[in-house]
Amino acid sequence: MTVVRWAAPLITLFAAIIAGTLYGVQLVVLTLAAAALLLVIWLFWSSVQALAGESELTFEEAFSLGARSAEEEQKRAVLRALKDLEYERSVGKISEEDYHEYAARYRAEAKRLIQSLDENLAEGRKLVEQELSRRLSKQPTKAKHADADANTDADADADATDAEASEDSARTSDPTPSAPAGRACPACQVKNELDARFCKACGKSMAEAEESLP
Amino acid sequence: MWQSLPELGTGIVYAILVAAAYTFAVALAAGRGRPRLLQAARLGAYSTSALVLFAVLLLSYAFVSHDFRIRYVAHYSDRRMSTAYLLTSLWGGQDGSLLWWSLLLSGYTAACVAWLKGRYRELQPYVIATLMVTIGFFAMLMLFAANPFETSIAGARPDGEGLNPLLQNYWMIIHPPCLYMGFVGCSVPFAFCVAALVTRRLDNEWVIAVRKWMLFAFLFLSIGNILGMMWAYEELGWGGYWAWDPVENAACLPWFTAAAYVHSTMIQERRPMLRVWNVFLICLTFFLTIFGTFLTRAGIITSVHSFAQSSIGAYFVYFMGLILGTSLGLMVWRLPELKSKGQIEAAASREAMFVANNWALLGGMTFILVSTMYPKISELWGESATVGPPHFNRWMGPIGLIIFVLMGLAPLFGWRKTSGASIKKAFRAPLIALAITAVLHLAFGGYLGYPFFVPRDAFYPGVVGVLLQKVGSCLPGITIALCGFNVAVIVQEFVRGVNARRAAAGKRGEDESALVALFRLVEKNRRRYGGYIVHLGIVSMFVGFTGTAWNIDRETAMVPGQSTHIGEYDLKYEGSRRCPGNPKCSAAEQADIEKIMIFADIEVTRSGKPVGHVHPAKFIYHASPDGPTTEVAMMRSLHEDLYTVVGQIDPQSKRATFQFHVNPLVSWIWVGLLILITGTVTSLFPELSLGEVGAWSYVRSAAGIAAGTAFAIWMAMASGTNYTHERPQATAQHAAGASLRSLRQTPTAGLGMAGFVGLALGSVVSFGRRRRVEANSPRD
Repeated sequence: MTVVRWAAPLITLFAAIIAGTLYGVQLVVLTLAAAALLLVIWLFWSSVQALAGESELTFEEAFSLGARSAEEEQKRAVLRALKDLEYERSVGKISEEDYHEYAARYRAEAKRLIQSLDENLAEGRKLVEQELSRRLSKQPTKAKHADADANTDADADADATDAEASEDSARTSDPTPSAPAGRACPACQVKNELDARFCKACGKSMAEAEESLP
Repeated sequence: MWQSLPELGTGIVYAILVAAAYTFAVALAAGRGRPRLLQAARLGAYSTSALVLFAVLLLSYAFVSHDFRIRYVAHYSDRRMSTAYLLTSLWGGQDGSLLWWSLLLSGYTAACVAWLKGRYRELQPYVIATLMVTIGFFAMLMLFAANPFETSIAGARPDGEGLNPLLQNYWMIIHPPCLYMGFVGCSVPFAFCVAALVTRRLDNEWVIAVRKWMLFAFLFLSIGNILGMMWAYEELGWGGYWAWDPVENAACLPWFTAAAYVHSTMIQERRPMLRVWNVFLICLTFFLTIFGTFLTRAGIITSVHSFAQSSIGAYFVYFMGLILGTSLGLMVWRLPELKSKGQIEAAASREAMFVANNWALLGGMTFILVSTMYPKISELWGESATVGPPHFNRWMGPIGLIIFVLMGLAPLFGWRKTSGASIKKAFRAPLIALAITAVLHLAFGGYLGYPFFVPRDAFYPGVVGVLLQKVGSCLPGITIALCGFNVAVIVQEFVRGVNARRAAAGKRGEDESALVALFRLVEKNRRRYGGYIVHLGIVSMFVGFTGTAWNIDRETAMVPGQSTHIGEYDLKYEGSRRCPGNPKCSAAEQADIEKIMIFADIEVTRSGKPVGHVHPAKFIYHASPDGPTTEVAMMRSLHEDLYTVVGQIDPQSKRATFQFHVNPLVSWIWVGLLILITGTVTSLFPELSLGEVGAWSYVRSAAGIAAGTAFAIWMAMASGTNYTHERPQATAQHAAGASLRSLRQTPTAGLGMAGFVGLALGSVVSFGRRRRVEANSPRD
């Protein structure tokens, strides 16, 4: 299908150029018009097919049906507000007490939204892991690849890693901006929050660091 | 019905209406509990857009094949027109411009649907439905009031009437499309607004979705309006760029409300405030775009821009009623949920400044609206008033100044409230800059020819008149001083940001140079710093506007050999020549078959040094010999423009009447537009994350930008062909020569502007690729 999507405009373009060179500008317009008409027919037919329920559910569509976009956007808005707050503090436009008050409020809100999103996805994750373990038990030789797949599948339900990294900084229960205690990342040694699950610099899992704690 | 092109065309317009209605129904069904239908609605929206594209291509075919059976084609083209003008005359008249509007609206619809993908699933159905209603309205307009495919009763003519010579130039190719892009762009935010109100998802979700669309529409409203100013300035020959014509006013009304919106939305994104206000602004902006096009087409107010009279006005009135009813109804219905939960806590806060700025912008908009409609309103009580430029100029001066002051004040304050110490620190440098600028201007302004005070006569009797007169006299000096203030504010913001970044880097143990810090600062805060760059552009435009206070105008009559003096210039009238025919004419001028050109050759000397020649002219087109056009000749620089117009030339004695103007600082307006475009493109530019976006995307965006720039350069060079229509045997060399010559004649303004339009187009191509990254990143 993607081949058609790329090939069709190119074919139209070539046909138009050839027609134009041979017969003049009128035929260029006519060729483009013909291509537009074919496009109309194809799109309309696809629309009616979708209406009749004959089109398959694509992954993207399924994903977006499941995702709760309102809370996603709210979470992004709060994280953006936090970033702006940091900036305003750095240029001295906001007083320290106002900064702390607002930061605490935004972090609490972000925490609530992220927890709510996680809860919503938790069931889906469980189902995915069940399905995976079922398939793994059928194909033991492919275990190594299946592990990697399990990670990407689980992540496919969540955001990309960089968004998660910034989520983790908001996830700290300590509302004050400076967190004196922290854990070093096993891979890059950057200091992270105590309850971080992924390093905010390199994105690696902090699970290994957890094991090494007394 | 499908046997001939005109009938096919009309049938396709019917099909557009049917497709829009189908998509509307499917979209509503998807919104009311059958989410899988959304895919059908999306495809329906694409197919409706493709249908409109098909209709436009059919009409284009009719133009290039000279199908004079169609009344519209016969009215606006003839067999001698070049292909470029044949295609652009598609939007030269009422019917075709409606089809063109529909095309742009479909383009926006398709882009919006593609951009939405799987996001905002709850809002999508209603966004699509609203856009389909608008497309359907324009389809109905075309079907019942202004069908572009309608045939002449008398049948096909041997030749058409041709496009008005005034419209056969480079500006006609670029100004209407850009302005329409701005107008039509306001439909998408309106669609999101309606969707949010209907679905009750009144949090910031829809506001964030709408941001870039509104900014994009604002960009093209700015470009479209300033291109119109350039056109008026270069072509019409009355020495100015803005006549407060009703259609001009209608075009700038949505600009004011869009500008107000892009500011007040920032408040709503941080705090749950001003939600009713933002909804109101978006609905008002969309309403004003429809109202603007109604004013242009219905002919209720006399204007030089008006299309021919027709019954089309009634349809617009019904549609505007529908928009008002829907908007107000939805707002009232959702008022309990929309009402603010926060309030402005201090007057010394950015929220307060933004609210004041909104009031000022809306005040300006209301003033222009009421003054424009006043002739019609005054008929209610039997008067027949006319409102002209002096009225607007007197009042918009102070109003513009208030907006300008607020533009400078707002960045100095912090959100929520600003401490006294912070205010003092913030105001110090800008106030010093203000004082220095004012003092320097007072001291040296008169000597340079730009005095601080420019005496004006009282326009109105009484106290108001005297007050306006006094304010008006001080305006030039105050504006320039405020320009200094605003520049200092903007520079200070950049400096503070860079210092903060370098301090933070220092704490981490890194060393960041100022230049790197500046680049990264803008990269990570595009919206903020893009906005500051836009402010810089506005400052530049205000410098340009202030220049009119120091205009020098002179009318005189001369015989060959006589000289006159204006400003620093000495102008010697050498003689006149008629082309084609005169041996002194250039090859391109000799080859022209479309018109007779009568040039007046004037030698220009500035402060004693010869600087060149100008050739103001009168063109007499064979197609319309009773309406000769005036061709202005200019010498431009950043400092001032020498603007020459020739009136009558006596064929025997060669005695000619001239108008000469020295317009200081006008070029700063066009420079300001370039800066504004840069700033808006910076704000619009999405995140580029090397890791997630493949190299192929860079190739695509580079190709987009290159294509856009090449296209823009081609458009700039096309202005060379507006003076000549070659005989078929003329070589390409002539055209190239004419183009290159025109490049020199319209330097910075034309080419640079066009180049930046190209960059804007290129960024549009690349921004579509970045949506995945944007969706995953918490940054702007």
